[in-house]
This record gives sequence, C-alpha cells and structure tokens, in this order.
Amino acid sequence: MSIEKRMLARELKLAAARPGDIFKPMWFLMLVISMVPLALSPDSVLLADIGSAMIWVATLLALLLNTEHLFQSDFSDGVLEQWLLLFLDRPLAWLVGLKLIVHWLFHVVPLICITPIAGLMLSVPTDVLIALLMTLVVATPALTCFSGLGAALTLGSSRSGILGVLVMMPLFVPVVILAAGVLIRATDGSEILPLMALLGAFSLVAATLVPIAVSAAIRLNIGGSN
Amino acid sequence: MSWRWFHQWGSPRWFYERAGRWQLVCGWLALILLVVGSLWGLGFAPVDYQQGNSYRIIYLHVPVAFLAQAMYAAMAVCAVVLFVWKMKLADVAMQAIAVTGLAFTVLSLVSGAVWGKPTWGTYWVWDARLTSMLILGFLYLGLIGLRAAIQDPDQAGKACGILVLVGVVNLPIIKYSVEWWNTLHQPASLKLTEKPTMPASMWMPLLVNILGYYIAAAYLVLGSMRAIVIGRERRASWVKELVGRA
Repeated sequence: MSIEKRMLARELKLAAARPGDIFKPMWFLMLVISMVPLALSPDSVLLADIGSAMIWVATLLALLLNTEHLFQSDFSDGVLEQWLLLFLDRPLAWLVGLKLIVHWLFHVVPLICITPIAGLMLSVPTDVLIALLMTLVVATPALTCFSGLGAALTLGSSRSGILGVLVMMPLFVPVVILAAGVLIRATDGSEILPLMALLGAFSLVAATLVPIAVSAAIRLNIGGSN
Repeated sequence: MSWRWFHQWGSPRWFYERAGRWQLVCGWLALILLVVGSLWGLGFAPVDYQQGNSYRIIYLHVPVAFLAQAMYAAMAVCAVVLFVWKMKLADVAMQAIAVTGLAFTVLSLVSGAVWGKPTWGTYWVWDARLTSMLILGFLYLGLIGLRAAIQDPDQAGKACGILVLVGVVNLPIIKYSVEWWNTLHQPASLKLTEKPTMPASMWMPLLVNILGYYIAAAYLVLGSMRAIVIGRERRASWVKELVGRA
C-alpha cells in the first residue's frame, strides 16, 4: 500500500476513534450562533443583516479551535519523527499537505455542513446562504493551512496556550475581507464571481506554499537546533 | 581577498565593541537632526490653510509610520540572512527589531489617533491605513510572543524567521485588501517617485525628521542588540571580564 493510502487509513481510524474532536467544534459553532440573538436582539430583520458575517466569524473561531493542536499528538507519540526517518523518498511538505487535506475533510467540512442550519436560525436569505457556503468551501483550505502553521510553530513549547492562534490570525485578514465582499455582493444581488475567483486564487496559493513553511517548522521542532 | 570582514560578524565580542561606537555616532546624529527638524517643523514651518496647527503632528506621525513598516522589511532581510548564512547576529537583530518595531507601530497609532480627533472628529476609524497598521502591530506582537514561548534561543529564532517570511509575503496582500475594503485616509503626501503635494517649507523639516528618526531607530536597535548579545553570551569569558571591570 502506498504511503498516501496508509496515511489516509490511519487518519480515518483516528477520526473514528475520537468522534468528539469532530463534534465539539460544531457544538461550539452552534453555541456561538445562539449567543448572537441573545446578545443583540431577536429581531429577524436585524439578524438577517448581520447573520452571514456572524456565521463566518463563528466558523473561523471553531476552525481555529480544532486546528490548534493539529500536530500535537503526532508530535508527542513520535509519528512526525517517523515521517522524517521512514519516508525519505517523499518531501515532508507533501506529507504535511496530505495531513492538512485530511484534516480539512474530516474536521472542517462537517463545520461547513452545519452552517446552513445556523443560517436558518439567523434568518439569512437563501441566496446569501448559498454564497456563504461557497465562500466557506473556497476559503477554509487557506485558513486551515495558516492555522496549521501556527500549530506547527508552537509545537515545541509546552506553555504556548493559544499562541498559535494569536500569531496566525492577522494573516487571515485578506481572506475575511474577500469573503465579506462576496457576502455583501450576494446581499445586493450583484456579481460575486470575480471576488470568488480572487478568494480561490488566494486559497490555492496558500495551500501550495504554506505546507512548505509548516514542514520547516516541524523539522525545527524535531531536529532541535540543526 | 580575505573574508575577515564577513567572518568578524560571527564574533559577538567584536560586534558588541564595534556597535557601542556606532551607537554613539548614531545617538548624537539623531539628536541633532531631531532637534533641528522638530524645532523647524513645530516652530517655523507655515500653518496649513485647512488643518491649522494640528497638521504639525506629521513631523512625528509620518516618520514613525514609515519606520514601523520599514522595520518589518528589515526583519525579513535578517530572516533571509539567518536561513542562508546561519548568522546568529541576524537573529539577534530580528529580536531587537521586533520590539522596536512594535514600539514605533504603537507610537504611530497613538499619534494618528491624536491627529484624527481634530481633523476627522474621532480618535479611531476603520480606515484602510489604520487597520493595516493595527494588523502590523499584531504581527509584531505575535513574533514577540512566539519568541517568549520557545525556550531554546536558536529554535525560537528560526521559528520567528519562518513567521517573518510568511508575514512579509502576506503583508502586501493584507495592505491592498484592506485598502480595497475601506479608504478614507489622506493620500501619502511624500512619495519617492512623485513631487510632494506640500510646499518645500513644510516637507524639508519633515525630511530632516524622517532621517533623524531612522538614525534614532538604528541607535535603539543597536542598543538592544548589544543587550541581547550580552544576555546570550553571559557564560562567555569576555562578558565575565566586562562585567567584572564595571
């Protein structure tokens, strides 16, 4: 069996063994969404106005919550070291990229799947909701990569807390701005394709280049000072 | 040709002694330029016909805002030097610049807020340049936090180097996206490629001050680099000698 298939099988088993890891961020997302009308107002017109932005921010936070320790268990039980030792014919960035893709599939896609429910609860109009789903699908690969980098950079320090999140969040700015632009245009009923294309381009570039930085950060934490 | 000029940068002791002399030169030069520029700008430059005297804060605001951005670029150069030539001094410079750069960013935000009150009627608006400056501040803060979280200084330096390089690729994207998102700030009055939009009697003192602040920044960075070098080399015999003598 190829390395890629073995990795996929292992990640599947891990995900099945710990369903809580998939479920908890979704739970968090729904809790944040239920706080919005409580804190603001139950008025459905007002909620429809800000709903899509709120769901975007809540999804972003939930994603950060479950990516924070992305490499932690693989690091502490030595799997990452094994990658470096055994898979010499594969660049580390490729393996890291695979890991990020698998993480996105198992942990981020479920989050995106429940956003329509959140959208209905905040009375977001259907066409905006579709645009919201599209922006999330297109933008989350970039967000996953960046927060994975944060997780990799803080691997070695036991007292980093949410530092990885704090360090990476400023880099989300372009993604959030572009996605918000799409949502505003969807609300107006104007053309969303150009901005969507830009968002997709950013996501693709991030997904290609960031794994290289992540692999450098992992190497740094395993190799110590060399 | 001998490589001495290059290799001596690897010696912390050589740098410590040399930087002390450079610091002295920078300190006096900066002091003279800043006194001349600030007195000229605050006392003798003409009053602006729209903003009155309140515009005079540009003699502080513009130089520190320039520096806040330039220092991130300087840090990126240091990161490249660190990864390509494995020069430890580049890491020391990165550490020193991160703190100084954050200080300049905060200074430019605060001076901007003070200027914003009389001209825009509010301390803070979500304008493009203010927002990207705020994000820049968070990037600096992240670097300082990351370094503080990792115990081994070499490892911390490399982690910061990765973060700086990722950040420097992203900064232009952040800047343009934020600009596209919302812009209200007056366009830059000093550009390298165009004629300034203000009269010479206004921009001459500004130029003196910009130069002054750049040299003052060099003074500050050299000072904190020396302190970091002493801290990291505290077990070396030359440091013990130096401390014993003092």
